[in-house]
Formats: sequence, structure tokens, C-alpha cells
Amino acid sequence: MELNLCDLQGFVARGYSGRSFPVASFLLARIHDAASGREFLGRILAEITTGQLWNGKKPGSTLNAGFTYAGLAQLGLPEPTLQSFPVEFVQGMKSRGKILGDTGADDPANWETIWQQDGNVHMWIGIYAESKAALEDRCRKISAAMLETRGATVLQTQEAGALVIGGEVSTKEHFGYSDGFGNPDIQGLCRKPTPGQGKLTDHGKWVPLATGEYLIGYPDEACELPVSPIPYLLASNGTYMVYRKLHENVATFRKFLKERGGQYGGGEKKLAAKLVGRWLDGTPLELSPDTENIDIVKDDARNTNFTYGKDSDGARCPLGSHIRRTNPRDAFGFSGQLVNRRRIMRRGLPYGTYVPDDQPVRDDGEHGIIFMALCASLFRQFEFIQQQWVQHGNDAHLGNDKDPLLGNQCDQDRFVIPGDTTPKNPPFVCPHLPDFVNLLGGEYFFLPSITALRMIAEGGVDPR
Amino acid sequence: MGNQSGQSYGLTILSPIINNGSRAAAQDLALRHHLSKLANGEHSPFAKVPGTHFVRLVVMGDVVFVGYPARDEHLKSQYLICTADFDGELDPYLQTLARTIPAELDAIWKHCVGYPGATDPAKFAEYIKKCQVETTLYFSDVNDRTLEQTLKALLVKTAVTAFAERYQGQPASVVQPAFKKFLTELSQTPAPRPGAAGI
Repeated sequence: MELNLCDLQGFVARGYSGRSFPVASFLLARIHDAASGREFLGRILAEITTGQLWNGKKPGSTLNAGFTYAGLAQLGLPEPTLQSFPVEFVQGMKSRGKILGDTGADDPANWETIWQQDGNVHMWIGIYAESKAALEDRCRKISAAMLETRGATVLQTQEAGALVIGGEVSTKEHFGYSDGFGNPDIQGLCRKPTPGQGKLTDHGKWVPLATGEYLIGYPDEACELPVSPIPYLLASNGTYMVYRKLHENVATFRKFLKERGGQYGGGEKKLAAKLVGRWLDGTPLELSPDTENIDIVKDDARNTNFTYGKDSDGARCPLGSHIRRTNPRDAFGFSGQLVNRRRIMRRGLPYGTYVPDDQPVRDDGEHGIIFMALCASLFRQFEFIQQQWVQHGNDAHLGNDKDPLLGNQCDQDRFVIPGDTTPKNPPFVCPHLPDFVNLLGGEYFFLPSITALRMIAEGGVDPR
Repeated sequence: MGNQSGQSYGLTILSPIINNGSRAAAQDLALRHHLSKLANGEHSPFAKVPGTHFVRLVVMGDVVFVGYPARDEHLKSQYLICTADFDGELDPYLQTLARTIPAELDAIWKHCVGYPGATDPAKFAEYIKKCQVETTLYFSDVNDRTLEQTLKALLVKTAVTAFAERYQGQPASVVQPAFKKFLTELSQTPAPRPGAAGI
């Protein structure tokens, strides 16, 4: 099946890599009223980056847009259309806090001001650029269009970008892990399937997931069309985005690695690897349990190509490690069918400045990740992963233990590292896990197709 | 899979609820109200009955056909559904149930047709068996361990993890005597109460 890439937003069709686009701004905006908001949208419509292949003519910056439920209401979408959106999107992320485990330190009361009031943020405008100058240029044009049309105001400009370490643009986040491996291959989107990135067939081959797991308007892995708003044309080729600003407590993390790494027989680096399931350089533990291996990392045919079937006790990759929890691959049996319905497309990007290992660092410095994940069903995919696999451990046979890195720990939880009898790989229990990550706010956005953006801008959404 | 899986028994009961129409004290409403007030966890009346893993009580008002064309068809009666997972054989369990919480059972099943009361355990067991349908699926966590074994296993898991946390990395000369002491203490610690939270 071929998708109409010209109708997809570019941010949906592909991730903008840090190598090509090292800097980004996310404008979180409020729409004034339906008429001026639509005029503003109409003004930037022709500038929206689509999924069309660039064929060597890469732009200097990209532009994409999404809307919260409140934003769509503010743009004057008809009531029957608004009421046809899935309930979790209508409620918004803040209202879903109990399901997501956003309590305690992650409670909305501790979020940044713009997220505190319900329905305050209406629009996400994502701009990626090859240089600071190109980014500023694009941002200026958007601001000018906002001013001229009086259609919207920017509430917050969230800067983000690939971390520069030792003068080089990297794929690392602030804890030092290489990030961004293993997005699912989707039918119609991926040109060449990568082993380990789609779904596993009974014959051990990796093939792309059904388009409907990612885009609205297509059959999903259950051979059903996902619940979608009406009219079909508004929903089709669109998807949903989770936006979460995750502050990273870098000082806490480094202190933890030093202290616990000193007690753990495998040492600091291996402890870091056991938490995530990958070594800091990205080497999967499952493929190389004792050492980093840059050859594997660089080889796309290998760096996500593994399963957990022969490691059922987690002696290589702990059952509770971050990547094993959030994408259990073959671990649950049933030919992977339980896992195939819980895949998300990650588009996250760090924000803030990297503090080198040998320099003093504070928890309250500006460092974190703008976690953005795209999926056809926020409820079935993102919320399930967050509730059952990040904030709970039952599916991984770990009781109430949480994801060691992302879980809302409250200093009460532990992380168990299964081991074997070799001195290099001893078992270890990390008690009293601190909170490595705190949520500073976020929301659910709808990322419409190009056709749908035009319908919204023209006031032409007709649910009849 | 039938009513028994290893030593575990899966009991499924459908008891017709008395239909007294539009009278003020409609039985189904009264039963729903009573069930909504029942305690859960360790305060559940069923937590007092030895060997009980889970009990679930549901009022089935009707079964509605969702599809095309719509059909106006209804159950002849409303039913109280009771599903239970417990250890051992059916007869002894039902007798124990009737002996342990007769008043609580009466307060529930008095709304059902033909209920003889729990004062006579044999009659109670006979009634329940008349209402029984075959169990085909178990609660996914049923694992052929007895309640006592399960509760003790939870205790052991928590205690062993705490021990490992405390003594990992210490020399054998410290760990070994501590572990011997730990084992003795653990073997003397009673299993947690059924339904107890925090284990």
C-alpha cells in the first residue's frame, strides 16, 4: 500500500534527525478566536512541511502544527465533530494524571504555569532547523503572521535540540545515553524494513506494523479502523501526539551511579546499562552483555535486532530495564500480538545544555527531554505503556516495581538486576530509587493531515 | 479446562433474582445497594473463609444484543453472578462457607429465588450446586498454589528482597549467620492475612 506522503505532515512521516536539524523550537500558542485563528492557520498553511520526499532539496527549516482539544474548539470546529474525538484526547493529559501516575512530584500543581490551567494551550507549532539563524528566521515569520492576523499568541517558546558534546552534535540525552533507537516500521511509511523495528512474524522475520497503529483512517493490527473523529476526511492521515516536558535530575543520576555503581559488582557503566537495557553508547545488552560495541551501534541491521526469548530470567537485559519494559518484543508470547498494539513513534528531543561528566552539575539546571510520541490511539498505546509498563511491574513479573528511569519512584521503589554466577555479572538490588525524571507539564495534541489543516483553516469541517 | 485446575476450584453461580416487579422494595435494587456497601480486601466477609482467593459478585440485569438488526429479547430473570476461586473440593468449601459467614450469605442470597438460607450447610450447598454453571476460564493469576502458599510467597518475596538489599556486597562471614537467623525468623512469621494490603 502506498501512502499519500504529500498529505502527511513531515513530522508525522519522518523524524527530523539531529544531524540535519540540530535545533528546534516548539511554540505553544493560544488561539484568540475562531475567525482570526483560522486566518492565521491559513497564512502558514503553504509553509507546513509535508511528508513529500526531499530528493536532495532539504529545506533549511521545517514547520508542523498540532492542536489540543481546546484549540480545536477555539477554532470553531462543529460540536458534533468535537464530540466525536476519543475521550482521553477531549479530557487532556492533566485530567488523565491518575492513570498516567502523574502524582506527587509529578502532580500538575508542580507543572509550569502554562499547563496548569485547563485548556490554556491550544496549539503546538514545531520548528526544526539546520542552524540557529534558520530557526530564528522561521520563528520571526510565524510571529509576524500571528501579529498581522491577531490569530494567536505564543505562551511559551520551548527551545530544544541535539546536545552538543565536545563540540560535536550527538544523539545523547543529559544522562549520557544515546537515544532514539528503535521506532516501529509502519506499512506504507518505511521504504526498507529494519530488523527489530516492526513486528516479529512466526518465522522470526521482522515486518512493518499495520498503518492503522500509527495513522488514523487505516486498518490496525486488529484489522479494525481506530476510533476516529468525523468527518473521515478530518481524521484520515492524522495522528495524535503526546507532549511531555521531562526534567532530568542529572546530579541525582550521577550521584546514584557513583554510589550504587561502587556497590554493584559490575561497576558504574554496567549499572547504567542495566537500568536502560543499552550501554551508554547504545549497544543493546541483549547483544553484548559485557561491553560496549560501537560496531553494533552503527549497524542498523543489528542495533535493534534482538529478542528476549533466550533471556527469560533477565540475566543479560533485566526484566525491569527501560527498553525491555516499554517494548517487550517477543517476551509475552502470542506471536507478539499483545505488544504490537502498544507501539508508539518517538520524536523526543533534549532541551538545555549538556554538563560534561567531570563538571559539577545541579538537579535544578536546565536539562531534560521534550518527550513527544505519536500513535493512533492515546488510550490503547501511550496510556497503556505509561500505566502498565512504566508505572507498574506486573506484566514483567515485577510486582509494583516501576521503570527505573521514568517511573514516579517517590524513593520507595527498587530495581532488581538479575545476574548469573560469573563475577562480571552479579545480581544486585537497587533500593530506594530516587526520582530521576520529573514531569513539568504537557498535553495531548491532534496532528491533522494537510487536507484537514486546510479544512480547519477554511472553516470547512462538516460532520454531516 | 473445567471447574477444577489442579487443586484450584473455579466456581461460577447464576442465581435468579426474585422478580417482585414494581414493588417499593424491588429485590434487584435492594441487592445492588447491599453489594455496593460490601467491604473489599481484608474486610471482605469472604476473607474470613479459609482457602478463598477471590470472590466476585455481579448483578446481571439483562443481556442486550448489540448488532443489526436490533432484537427486542430479554432474559427471563435477572441473575446474581457469583464467581469464586478457592482451594480444594466444592462440597467441603460450601459447607465451610455456610458455617463461617451464614448471616452475610443470607443478606446477599435472600434476594434470590428458592434460597433456603445458610443455617443448614447441606441445604445451602445443595442450592448453590443447583445454580452452578461450568467454569471455563480462570482469573489469570490462578496458579495452582493454595491461598496459604500464595500469601506466604508474597511475604517471602518481600522479605528476601529486603534481606538482599541490606546484605548484598557484605562478606560471607556476615551474610551467612544473618541469613540463618533470617530463615528462622521467616519460618516463624505467620502468612499475612487474606486480602491484606501492602504485601
